[in-house]
Amino acid sequence: MRPQKLIPIILLASIVMLGTACKTFVVENVNYAHQIESVLTPDDDGTVTDVRHGITFNVAPFHKKEFGENDSTHQIKEVRLIRNAEGFYFITANQFKNVYVMEPGNGSLKLKKKIKVSEERISEPAFNMRDGVVQLVKIETNEIVSLNENGIKKNDKKEEEQS
Amino acid sequence: MRRFYTATLVLIALAVGSVSISAQTSDYQVKKNFEDRYAELKSSITEAMTVKEIDSLRSEIKDFAYYNEDHEQLLDNALYPETYESTIEELKQRARAAEHKLLIIENQNEKLTQLSNELSTYKSEIANLNERTDSLRNAILASEESESDLSQLVERYRKSMEERDEFVLNMIDSLFITYKDLQGKALAEFTEENGPRALQEEDNPLHVIESVIEENIQILKADNGALQTEDYLRMYVVQNRFSEVWNQIGDDLTRIYAGNKASQWENNIEDKLGDWKASASKNMWASMDSYLEKNNVDLGAFDSNESFYKSIEQFVSKATDASREKVITDENYADFQSFYDFWNGKIKKDWGKFVQEGEVLTMNQISTIDTEIMTWRDEAKPKSFLIPILFGLSLLTIVGLIIVLARK
Repeated sequence: MRPQKLIPIILLASIVMLGTACKTFVVENVNYAHQIESVLTPDDDGTVTDVRHGITFNVAPFHKKEFGENDSTHQIKEVRLIRNAEGFYFITANQFKNVYVMEPGNGSLKLKKKIKVSEERISEPAFNMRDGVVQLVKIETNEIVSLNENGIKKNDKKEEEQS
Repeated sequence: MRRFYTATLVLIALAVGSVSISAQTSDYQVKKNFEDRYAELKSSITEAMTVKEIDSLRSEIKDFAYYNEDHEQLLDNALYPETYESTIEELKQRARAAEHKLLIIENQNEKLTQLSNELSTYKSEIANLNERTDSLRNAILASEESESDLSQLVERYRKSMEERDEFVLNMIDSLFITYKDLQGKALAEFTEENGPRALQEEDNPLHVIESVIEENIQILKADNGALQTEDYLRMYVVQNRFSEVWNQIGDDLTRIYAGNKASQWENNIEDKLGDWKASASKNMWASMDSYLEKNNVDLGAFDSNESFYKSIEQFVSKATDASREKVITDENYADFQSFYDFWNGKIKKDWGKFVQEGEVLTMNQISTIDTEIMTWRDEAKPKSFLIPILFGLSLLTIVGLIIVLARK
């Protein structure tokens, strides 16, 4: 066989080997969980920054999603955010009926699940992390709802609603 | 019926208890409550004005730590990089530091009150002595009494002045002892927290100091010639010591007692001290010159420590040279003796204490002059001609005898 004919084969083999090597470098069992929720106050533009956990985003899309396009009666005073071990962000705020499970992407937060947690708007929501599980506490009704990225955990006997 | 009520009460209590047990709180709220209370305690510690307040805050910190003990792990996470333990320790540390500072301040406050009382006593004593010296001075001026009675009056006047100066020195020493212990930082904090001390004018050390300086200037300016060099030297020393103490504690005193007029007071006292120094210095050097003149020692003109030393040095040096060149006579030696009496009897002995305290001459200068005086003494001492005459006579006798023997 002539050496010139071997060059494409060698190149192809190298690319395949390199690709395989990149794919195999994965660190397992990463825990992204926040031990305590962050309570963030939006600035005039609606931007919130969690300095400790290093995330900045705008709350306007949540406002639209929760209260509708043209709503001007509700105002998000504080955004509550917590992250579970799998890396999903759980976001809610006062007067929300839902918890938004957001998946971090490339410069974005993509909705993974919108979990309806109340028929009424919750005036005092709060997140706690208990044994690795995100809990939504409705302070005014003294009610706790355990959540994961797929919705309300079944043993809480709550109906799971998807958007 | 009573049993029914008791059972009902127990049920109600259990119900209330179960509600409180099941009351849900947010971890964030626990953290926020902790942070708010921490900030509140921190600010209370900073604002505390007494040791008693700090003691009460220390017990509040203890309670604060106790009530949050159950949330230690949560708080460790929430307060990262601080921890529950480090935050409580920081509060305790702040309370300890504040207590230490307040103890110093309370101690200083006590000292200052004590000093104010002392100053009042000094002030009234000095006023009494002033009154006595004034009346004695007036009596001397108006005296038509015999020389011996006048001399007694003068003696009493001088004694009274001495007592007065003693009091002024004691007062300035008390001031110094009290204020030198006030550490700069503690003093600044004391003034910051208490503001300038609003004392009655007569109790304010600045007023007392000002009046003492003014009275001294007045006494020096109204000099009636009844005082002697020793008195002027003592007054010069008092002024010197006063200025020295003022330079060390003047800033602190004005900061405590003059408030926003601190620099005005400082300039005022410093101007007056300058005036006092000029008068004390002028009278002392003039009196020294007059004393030397009376004792036939002509040192030339001098009006400062440096020029006085130079005058003495030149005088001794010239006199030594003159003794070396001239035929030695008893008169030369009398000149030496006269200066020697002044130097040893007055400068080093009678006035020695004041000469040193007032730095009229330094120890080094005195020692240099001592050496030069010894050289002068050697040169000025009249030498005996008896031995050379006897030697000459012996020589002549021997020569005579040799001639007689040779002729025979």
